[in-house]
Amino acid sequence: MVTDAGASRRALLSGAGAALTGAVALTLGGCGGPATGRTAVKQLPRPVMERDVEVLGQALELERRTVAAYVAGIPLLSHPLAKVARQFLNEELQHTGELISLITAAGAKPPPRADSYELGHPRDAAGVLALLHSLEALQIKTYLQSIPRLSPGPVRAAAASILTVDSQHIAMLRLAQGETPVPSAFVTGSE
Amino acid sequence: MRAQTRRELLRSGAAGAAGGAVAGVAGVAGAGRALLTEASAQAAETAGNAFQIDRLQRLIRLELLLRFCYRQVLASPLLTPRARRTLAPFIAHEQAHIAALERQLRAGGGAVPPPPASVAAANRDLAHRKIGGRLGQLRGDQDAVRLLLTLEQVTIGAYFVALMKLQDTNLIELVSQIMANEAQHDAMLALLLPPNKPANAVPYGLVQGLQ
Repeated sequence: MVTDAGASRRALLSGAGAALTGAVALTLGGCGGPATGRTAVKQLPRPVMERDVEVLGQALELERRTVAAYVAGIPLLSHPLAKVARQFLNEELQHTGELISLITAAGAKPPPRADSYELGHPRDAAGVLALLHSLEALQIKTYLQSIPRLSPGPVRAAAASILTVDSQHIAMLRLAQGETPVPSAFVTGSE
Repeated sequence: MRAQTRRELLRSGAAGAAGGAVAGVAGVAGAGRALLTEASAQAAETAGNAFQIDRLQRLIRLELLLRFCYRQVLASPLLTPRARRTLAPFIAHEQAHIAALERQLRAGGGAVPPPPASVAAANRDLAHRKIGGRLGQLRGDQDAVRLLLTLEQVTIGAYFVALMKLQDTNLIELVSQIMANEAQHDAMLALLLPPNKPANAVPYGLVQGLQ
């Protein structure tokens, strides 16, 4: 069984490989920001830390649900879509790893993973895309509500670096669904 | 949040003054400390407001440059029809970002920065930000898309840094919404570059932009 953290490490490694071969030198995955975020969580006074841990724990729960949906839905997708969805799954696993790292850095224990998630019964690719779209939207809404509640700036920024990727996922899912990929100037999770 | 802090400080000042009536010299010292605390709180608030104005001006300058570049590229014959269809709506997005940020800036008493006055001014700004490609010298749609992609990534980086430092919760939410939208632009631009595969549009699990 693949653990959140193990999968995240692999995702980070593959991300590093891609970064090395990429023409543009992006400052991305696993670099400055998230590490800075972990330090910031640890330095916080206890009550603030506990509130942040609760917020991060809620985000982790949603990320795990989305991971479960990708795992369950990929077999129903066509080959090209499944390939993209596998990549998005790796990125979602990286998000769970990141959130676990932030929670652990605060001296707290990540909430246990649920045994199963109620994901409905999608029967075809369209159903899977609709499910993934709704879960990515829910994640976006949750991050947008959570980020202003996180008190240390670097932790906020670390959460935002996850929000941006989920926003890209939803744009690509909309494209696959034949919808306008970027319908609004402001990402809210409701558009 | 700031008002609450001020009230708390004033309350502690009043308590210090009341203590002064009872405890004589010690109380006078307490009231003095309270006045000092209030003064430092006001100074901190002023500094915080100045910081927020500065940060908003930086973000607006970048958004103005981005809008200028989109307009220039879309007005040129460089883009393929597909790229043109993809990028055309982004100008309105950048305009909406500018308007929302300007509202916040004006509310804080800040002056709105002007847009680039000319292609030459925009190119100087691009050079200053170490962004490759110059308007008027682009050799095709891929050159144009690369310039816009890099500028979007620089903009995402600026929002990422702003999120670390801003304190106003409404502004933090607005900045997060805009940063996420710029990341969507980034993905759509990346999709226009070879090998034109969806996997290349979202290549990383965490996005912080270029800083």
